[in-house]
Amino acid sequence: MSIAIECHGVWKSYRIYHQRSHTLKEKVLSRRSRYDDFWALRGVDLEVQAGTTFGIIGANGSGKSTLMKSLARILAPNRGSLTVNGTVSPLLELGTGFHPELTGRENLFLGGSLLGQNRAHIQARFDDIVDFAGIGEFIDAPVKNYSSGMYARLAFALAINVDPEILLVDEVLSVGDESFQMRCYQRIAELRMEGRTIVMVSHNLDTIRSMCSHAVWLEHGTVQLAGESDAVAAGYLAEVHRDASQHSGLAPSGSRHGTGRVEITGVTFVDRNGVAQGAFRTNEPFTVRVQYRAKERTDDIACGIAVLSAQNLSYLFGHSSNAAGLDLDLDGEGAIEFTLPSLPLMQGSYVVTVALEGVKQPGVFDMHDRRYSFLVFENPTLSLQAGMVRVEGSWTVSPSPVAA
Amino acid sequence: MGKREAARQRPPRPPLRAEARELWRSRELIGNLVRRDLKVKHRGTFLGMLWSLTTPLLTVGLYYFVFKVILGAQPVSDYPRPDGHDIPFAVYFFCGLTIWNFFGNSVALAASSVVGSGYLLNKVYFPRAILPLSVVLSSLVTFGFELCVLMVSVLLVVGLPSAHMLWLPVIVAVAALLSYGLALLLSTLTVFLRDVAHFIGVFLQLWFWATPIIYSLQFVAKRSGFSRVLKLNPMTGVVVSFRDVVVLNHAPPFRLLAYDAVVAVAMFAAGAYVFSRSQRLFSEIV
Repeated sequence: MSIAIECHGVWKSYRIYHQRSHTLKEKVLSRRSRYDDFWALRGVDLEVQAGTTFGIIGANGSGKSTLMKSLARILAPNRGSLTVNGTVSPLLELGTGFHPELTGRENLFLGGSLLGQNRAHIQARFDDIVDFAGIGEFIDAPVKNYSSGMYARLAFALAINVDPEILLVDEVLSVGDESFQMRCYQRIAELRMEGRTIVMVSHNLDTIRSMCSHAVWLEHGTVQLAGESDAVAAGYLAEVHRDASQHSGLAPSGSRHGTGRVEITGVTFVDRNGVAQGAFRTNEPFTVRVQYRAKERTDDIACGIAVLSAQNLSYLFGHSSNAAGLDLDLDGEGAIEFTLPSLPLMQGSYVVTVALEGVKQPGVFDMHDRRYSFLVFENPTLSLQAGMVRVEGSWTVSPSPVAA
Repeated sequence: MGKREAARQRPPRPPLRAEARELWRSRELIGNLVRRDLKVKHRGTFLGMLWSLTTPLLTVGLYYFVFKVILGAQPVSDYPRPDGHDIPFAVYFFCGLTIWNFFGNSVALAASSVVGSGYLLNKVYFPRAILPLSVVLSSLVTFGFELCVLMVSVLLVVGLPSAHMLWLPVIVAVAALLSYGLALLLSTLTVFLRDVAHFIGVFLQLWFWATPIIYSLQFVAKRSGFSRVLKLNPMTGVVVSFRDVVVLNHAPPFRLLAYDAVVAVAMFAAGAYVFSRSQRLFSEIV
C-alpha cells in the first residue's frame, strides 16, 4: 500500500505580535516589532496510507487546524518534511472564493478551480450539483441575490462534488444542518469506497470511530497517540475523563452571575457510592451535589439544574426544587443534592447549569451557567441504542393487520 | 534548536522552474480569476462588457474635444510620419496613454492583489504568484480593447499603419514583463508594509510625468539634456516604441527597447525572487 501523506518532525510556529506594526510610522518608531514564537506543531510525525480515512482529534488549540493547513500547503512548516502524494482538495470552509457579483454557475467553476477541480469535471457534475442545491433557475442569478440557505446549499453541493485524490475535511462541514451532515458523510463514504484518501478533523469521537480506520491524537502540537481510530479515541476519552475528574467537573467556558446573597461554592457529580466522578455510565445512579453558603438566613429559594449537550448545547432536561414542591430555607453552609436513579443519557459529554433563585421574589442569587461538565460512557450491560437519550420501549409484531 | 540548524532542516523551497510549471498547471484557475475580474468590473451595468470599448472611445473623443476644439492644439510635427500625414494631438496622446494605462493599471491593482485576497490565502493552496499575474492579464485584456479603439482612430484620422506594427507584440511583451516584475515586487512589499498601497498612486503619477506620453522625447531633447535621464526610465522606450510603430510608422528605437527589455527581465527576476522567498509567510500575515 502506498503512502499518501508523510510527515517527519514537522514544526510550525506563529509569531504572536504584542503590537503589530503594519504601517511605516509604526515600523520606523519601533525599530523591532516585538513578538513571541508560539509553536503550534512540535515535531509531528504522521503517516497516512493511500486509500484510508484518517482522523485527527485533540482539544482546541492542540494544533489540529495548523496540521490540516500544513497538509493543504496553506501554511509552510518551519522545519521537518511533509510529503503529500496526490491532488488535494481542502474543505476548510464552504464557498471559498465565491464572488457575490457572479452567478451561481460562474461561481461553481471559479470555486471548483480553487479546489483543484477542472472545468470538465465541474461540467460533468454540473446537473448533480444544481439538483442537489435545489436552486433551479437561480443558478444564473448573482449569488448576492441568494438567500443564505441557497448560498449554503450551493457551496455545499460543490464541496461534496469535488473529486480529489486526497480530501481534507475540517470541522466546519459539520456545522450544517442534519441533512447536510448526512449527505456529507454519505459522500465521504462514497469517496472512501472509491479508494480516496480522506483526512478529517472532528470533535465528535463517534464520527472518528465510525468513519476512520486510523487516527492521531494531538496535544499541544505533539502526537499523543497514533494508531487505529478505536484505540486513539479510547485513549483520548480516558485522558479527557481524567482531566474532568481532576478539575471536579469544572468546564472551561461558561459564566457566573447573581447577587451572591446565597452562593454556590461547588458542584460535583456523585456516583452510587457517594464518590465524586467526572464520568458515568448510562442507566447508573447519578447525583448532582450543590454546595452552598448563605451569608444570612434566606428562605424562598429554588435550586435549578439544567443539563445540555456539550456538542451543540441543546437543552436536554431541567429540574427545579420548587417544581418538586421543596422550598429551600438556607443558612450557613450545606449541600443540596439532586439524584437521578438511572441516568438516561447515552455516550457523550454534557454540560450543566446550576442556579439558586428566588421563588416569590424573583431574582438570581447565584447562577453558574454551563460551568460544569461530565462524560457518559456506554454501559456494556445494556442493549444497543442510538441517539443522545436512552428510553425504554418494546417492540411487537402482529402477523395480521391491527384493527383501527 | 539553534537558528542555523533550523534553517538547514527547513524544507527546500521549490525552484523557480517548478513554480513556473505549477503556474502553467493552474492556467484554468488563472483564466477563471481573469474572467472574474473582468466580469465583476462590468456586472450590473447596462452596457456590460461594451464599457471596455466605450470608455476608450469616450476618452479619445474627450481628448479630441479638449485639445483640438478648445485648446486648438497643432498636429504633432517634431517626428513626422514618413508619409507626411498629420497626427492630431488627441491621437498622439491617446496612443501613449493606452500602453501606459496597461502598465499603470497592472501595477496599481496588482500591488494590493495579495493583501486583498487574504480570504483565499487562508483557505486553499494555489501558486500565490497567480494573484498578481491574473491582475496583469486582466489589464492586458482591457488594453486589448483600448488598442482596438486606438487602431480604428489611427485608421480613420491618420492612415494605414506600416509593417513596423510587427514589433507590437515585442513591445507589449516588454511592458507586460516589466509590469509583472514590478507587480510581484510591490504585492510582496504591500503584505509587509500596508503604506505601499497609498504610496503607489503618487509614485505612478510621478512616473507618468517622467514618461514621454503627453510630450515627445524630441521635444525634451530640443530643450535640455534632460532626455538622458528620461531614457533611464524603462517605460520611456516602451511608450516611444509603441507610438512609433502604431502611429508614427517608424521603426522602434532599438537600443532603447533593448535596454527596456533588459530592465524588464531584471525587474522580473528580482520580483520573482522576492515573491517566491516571501510567499510562505503570506497566509500568516495577511
